[in-house]
Amino acid sequence: MDESQLIARVRAGDSAAERALYNAHVDRVYRLAFRLAGDDALAQDFTQETFIRAFDRLGSFRGDAAFSTWLHTITTTVVLNGLRKVKRFRQREADLGDAHDIGTAPRHAEPDLKARLKQAIDDLPEGYRTVFVMHDVEGYTHEEIGVALGVETGTSKAQLSRARAKLRVALSDFAGEWVQ
Amino acid sequence: MMQEHEDPKFEQWLKGTAKSYHTPHPTPREEMWKRIEDARRNKHVIELRPWMRWAVAAAAVLILGIGIGRWTAHQPVAMVAAADSTAPAQSDLAYQVAATQYLSHTEAFLTSFRTDIGSHGAANSARFAGQARDLLSTTRLMLDSPAAKDQRLRSLLEDLELVLVQISQLDPSHDGHDTDLITQGMNQSNVLPKLRSAIPAGPVPVRTEGAL
Repeated sequence: MDESQLIARVRAGDSAAERALYNAHVDRVYRLAFRLAGDDALAQDFTQETFIRAFDRLGSFRGDAAFSTWLHTITTTVVLNGLRKVKRFRQREADLGDAHDIGTAPRHAEPDLKARLKQAIDDLPEGYRTVFVMHDVEGYTHEEIGVALGVETGTSKAQLSRARAKLRVALSDFAGEWVQ
Repeated sequence: MMQEHEDPKFEQWLKGTAKSYHTPHPTPREEMWKRIEDARRNKHVIELRPWMRWAVAAAAVLILGIGIGRWTAHQPVAMVAAADSTAPAQSDLAYQVAATQYLSHTEAFLTSFRTDIGSHGAANSARFAGQARDLLSTTRLMLDSPAAKDQRLRSLLEDLELVLVQISQLDPSHDGHDTDLITQGMNQSNVLPKLRSAIPAGPVPVRTEGAL
């Protein structure tokens, strides 16, 4: 059974088809949510929310683009909105709180390359980080990223280029790793 | 043409090294599917229906109009009569909006709790306990309000009350066992998916953007 038939069966209320559609896509959705959130509980929450929304709104899926593209648009919306909400909450609590800073990782010298790379990626502006993670880490094309984020392909390419440039500056101490 | 800031060696190295960034765990398919099913089963319930969103917007305009009217009124008696005639509808809608704000805030709090509780020690436990006490007061007010006439909202509020009581009683010197029990309880009762299902995905004023 191809995907369009599966989607038609989901629309008709077939719960087995819902599960089959979920099985076909959940790994990629969860991977992207985890890569962006960096936390298993949040990644699970975002994945669940993505599928709940997708099943609820399947009636509005017209099939102009691939289902996976449509689903990843929902995923990025859910994840980015969710992360903003958590960040706002943590920030507000940090503003209200005393000297204990909640949710902001301590900044200290980190000799380990992977930890420095992680920190550098975390510090990228949201748009740059999202494009970088989707393209360089998860292997999405610029076309897929453009549709998912609602931006032009050229914007995705430009953001990736700027993200890499910022990372190169942030990791300049480790230049010997790639200049060989 | 290669741009000035491009560095193919760096980009190649970066692509390989960045694979270690937030390396995903194996997908917990079954657990997530169960929660999705439960959340969808409970979905129909306490969200604001589309017509109610319009009603909220209309009520907001009405309340604003009445406010302006009162401010500028030369005939206070007539204005009070008009306000009284719309009071019950406004009151119900006000409870709905308050419920939405409360649910959004509680969702953000519990999400943050589950994510952060293990990582910041005793001070963090004390902070979460304090916030839980504040939310607990609101929960109990909500339980006593007309918003709790809806049986499913009432059930959700009772689940939340239980979780918030547990968090509010967290001992700052806890060893992690208490928080594990709380998060396990949250997972087993599906309280977060139910909470998210109860928060309407409507336009900004209805979703109470900025409440957090």
